[in-house]
Amino acid sequence: MRTGHFREKPGQLIALSDSRTVWGWTLALLVALALAPLVISAYGLTLMVAALIAVVGAIALNILTGQTGLISLGQAGFLSVGAYANGILLADYHVPVWITIPAGGAAASLVSLLVGVPSLRLKGLYLAITTLAFAFIVNHVILYAEPVTHGPNGLFVNGARLFGFNVQKGPPLYYLALAMALATLFATLNLSRTRIGRAWMAIRDHDIAARAMGIDLVRYKLLAFVISSFFVGIAGALMSLQLRFINVDVFALNLSIEAIASIIFGGLGSVAGATLGAVFLSFLPEALRLSFAALPFGGADLLGNNVYEIRGIAYGVIIVLVLRFKPDGLIGMWRDARKYWSQWPLAY
Amino acid sequence: MQFFLLLTSTGLVSGAAYGLIAIGFTLIYKSTGVVNFAQGELVMLTAYIAFSLAQWLGLSFLPLVALTIPISMALGLALERVFIRPMLGEPTFAIVMVTVGLAVILRGLTILIWGSEPFNFTAGMPTRVVVLAGVPFYPAQLWLLAALAIVVVAVWLFLKFSRYGVAMRAAAGNETAALLVGVDVSEIHALAWMISSAIAAIAGLLFAANFKLAPDMWFQGLKSFPAAILGGLDSIGGAALGGLIIGVIESLSQGYIGEGMREIAGFIVIIVVLMARPFGLFGSREIERV
Repeated sequence: MRTGHFREKPGQLIALSDSRTVWGWTLALLVALALAPLVISAYGLTLMVAALIAVVGAIALNILTGQTGLISLGQAGFLSVGAYANGILLADYHVPVWITIPAGGAAASLVSLLVGVPSLRLKGLYLAITTLAFAFIVNHVILYAEPVTHGPNGLFVNGARLFGFNVQKGPPLYYLALAMALATLFATLNLSRTRIGRAWMAIRDHDIAARAMGIDLVRYKLLAFVISSFFVGIAGALMSLQLRFINVDVFALNLSIEAIASIIFGGLGSVAGATLGAVFLSFLPEALRLSFAALPFGGADLLGNNVYEIRGIAYGVIIVLVLRFKPDGLIGMWRDARKYWSQWPLAY
Repeated sequence: MQFFLLLTSTGLVSGAAYGLIAIGFTLIYKSTGVVNFAQGELVMLTAYIAFSLAQWLGLSFLPLVALTIPISMALGLALERVFIRPMLGEPTFAIVMVTVGLAVILRGLTILIWGSEPFNFTAGMPTRVVVLAGVPFYPAQLWLLAALAIVVVAVWLFLKFSRYGVAMRAAAGNETAALLVGVDVSEIHALAWMISSAIAAIAGLLFAANFKLAPDMWFQGLKSFPAAILGGLDSIGGAALGGLIIGVIESLSQGYIGEGMREIAGFIVIIVVLMARPFGLFGSREIERV
């Protein structure tokens, strides 16, 4: 058990972590992630890229839902705005990819103002329903704005090159996604320790009290929408790079539910939780594939015929079970385990 | 004029389905404070159950309804006991997310059991066209409109005069006070789920008979949100009227504005209503205390 844990300088109070052990393990993890493409197969790398993109999306949703308490079921809408902005600029206007990815984020931010402003008067369920409605409207606009978005034909996203590398497959895409995930993680961790982050948490915990303390609700709620959807837009842009073909069916309601499932599974409100939840849930389809293949009586066929339904059921079961038994999610389980470990044998 | 009448009549018919589903939302919201995101899935699942019953027993319409309603009530009770009851006392957000999870589970299960191919389902009704005031109707369409009227009156009578209905209104008004005067609030919650699944069964049967029985029927649940919100989320009559209004708006905007407006007109209405009048047309205005 650690005792005598004192902070002696003001700088230590605002450090991300003052523990050498934590920094050591973080460094080891980063080195492992950087070296991963040397060891992991091409297929494994694809899964890891999907996981990293999910991490960006989940951290971003966590800003809005976990930290500010604004429930959003419109994640798919912001993702599709980011993906389409990136895809259209890249494929139709041949803009370099280092501009199109931030442009995807910026486009999603702009659109989020449209849904953010009417949402300011709303809370809880009403906001969830508004964001849901927004996601459907976005898909409709994309479907019918055919001259720009190619409508029902979908959009092929090709030719993204960065520093001479094709960043749409293999290690270059992996490093791009890794860099984006780390940037998002770092930005969010820092943001939540600033005036802005604390204001968000105050709004989440009690908006009227926050207002009374002088927090401008309009400004900070809109800021949460804009910043969150900027990162969601970037996640969407990365998705379009990886998938190489996008249409409105990619951004169905299920995507929003998967995003919500991953932040609930990880532990609402915690950046580390959102990261963990997104990583675990994006390996879920693979885990399902392996476990059905291991079943006797043609489990692989059963999954092959009904892959979307079984995945959906798995997400639903995870949401229900986590909320019922472990409302703090993975990060809560980790905290419990750590406490048990450090206090053993005195744990109660 | 003929075109307008035709659009209005088809709008009223699909609006009646929205109204029925929205009444299901409203009942659960009124008595438990939770929006049941699985209402559309309940509608779909009970419609499929009715379809299997009709195929198996070859029933005509009214006996089929009479048989489907108790089954769906049992289903509603089971879902409430297994999924919602253990969440009692948790924050509303957690319970709502459980219904979202439940929705995904029910949707997947329905497709696993009945497959993803749509079925034609007449629900034992004739398909002869009836002409009313110059506008042609199918019997199934008339039944849908009639069902909305019957359900509204029945639910109103139930809430106004029956012992359980009064208890339900008491629980909706103030749960703690209702507990203090001896209302079994958890029983009321279960009852709300049962009645709402029974209404879902009626809506599902008639919707499937009017359009078709397909695994995308759950989407009608989401499309009925505008009706519930327009009606104010806690008013039965408001939900029914909201449904009819949304149905007509969708149909007219599809006819006069453009292709595909049917799909999103309701969602645009949601955003407008929530901006201008968040408590809907008939909802109770909430006063928040710190």
